[in-house]
Amino acid sequence: MSNEEQKFSDEFINAFVDDQLTPEEKAQVYARLSGNEALSRQICELRKTRDLVQLAYKEPPMPARGMATLSAGRKIGLGVAAGLMLVIGGISGWFLHQSHAPQNIAVAQPGVSAEEQAKVLFHVSDGNAKHLKSVLDDVEDLMKHYRRSHQNARVEVIANGEGLSLLLAGISPYAERIQKMQKEYHGLTFVACQNTIDRYQQELGLTAKLLPGVVTIDSGVAQIMRRQHQGWAYLQV
Amino acid sequence: MDVFNFLGRTREDKARLEQHRLRLYRIAYAWTHNAALTDDLVQETLAKALKKSGQLRDPNAGEAWLYSILANCYRDHFRRNRVTEEIDENTITHESTPEKESSEQQVVLKVREAIARLSEGQRQVVTLVDIQGLSYLEVAQILNVPIGTVMSRLCRARHALKDLLGDFAPKIAAEDSKIRRIK
Repeated sequence: MSNEEQKFSDEFINAFVDDQLTPEEKAQVYARLSGNEALSRQICELRKTRDLVQLAYKEPPMPARGMATLSAGRKIGLGVAAGLMLVIGGISGWFLHQSHAPQNIAVAQPGVSAEEQAKVLFHVSDGNAKHLKSVLDDVEDLMKHYRRSHQNARVEVIANGEGLSLLLAGISPYAERIQKMQKEYHGLTFVACQNTIDRYQQELGLTAKLLPGVVTIDSGVAQIMRRQHQGWAYLQV
Repeated sequence: MDVFNFLGRTREDKARLEQHRLRLYRIAYAWTHNAALTDDLVQETLAKALKKSGQLRDPNAGEAWLYSILANCYRDHFRRNRVTEEIDENTITHESTPEKESSEQQVVLKVREAIARLSEGQRQVVTLVDIQGLSYLEVAQILNVPIGTVMSRLCRARHALKDLLGDFAPKIAAEDSKIRRIK
């Protein structure tokens, strides 16, 4: 689609962002990425646009329920149904509608019980060993606190940038401690940023091996945005 | 209750269709920005899917298949209602008032507004790719257009979104510098 000397077309860059390229084509883009500020920026902005679109429709507003709604929008639907469906289709559609509605509302608007759960996000971006120790101390203290107070809590430790070293097998100074903590506290998750892993690979030629039980997500920054949107407390440590 | 069982469908089929409901709703809402109409479209889509499910040979194709039914329902709806209703001229209204105050919600509304301003073709492509994560080929099949059209529409849609969301520029720039600093 694009040879080495030419600038990549916008369509090509979009396809890269959407993971629609062959491995060879992707390699071409990676090869050109280093030292190409404009290209990295373009990719970054495309990803951001995509994240924003996802965010915008994560929890779409549900139609108002009850008799009142039968007046406006519902009439169109019933008309459509009558015109297009077999009688049985219409009946099933109606039942479907009735039986599924409450579930969808529950998905869109987390109930009280979900809100009672404490949700805390630690963001680690510094790789200093001393610093990492204090991060783990903080996390452990918090988990202990929740356990003592019998509170249901979910805690996520997101590592990106230099902070990723916390979660790398053979590099992390606290591999054993992390495994112990994972076993000890079920609400605790360690999350690694895939973007950072890719960058390690590309810039240093390092294939990042993560500690067992560590989860990866596409982008640490995007995950932080998502979590904040979901009402998580965010701590940069 | 068990309408699907009543119609001879298995419990697994039913569960699968249920799972798809919210996802269909997201996409249809992104196309129409009208909750009541979205509800109707999803309803119609699932009813048609149910009726035609015997035609579906490859269960893995289920998802793309559902979206193509949705796309047809959407197109038919506006073909029938062209005279009375033109989606692109609709103003977007939001029912959820309590959430309006938070700044994230502001971002969400702003993005929805930008999506609503795209042309119909661009809006369909960008939402299927971004929200649903479908491949270009699947989107091409769903909308029944060549894959090159999918790519160019997507490209133009994202370009337009970037321009429309220009107000976020200061915030995005700040995030940028933050990203660079920490990595």
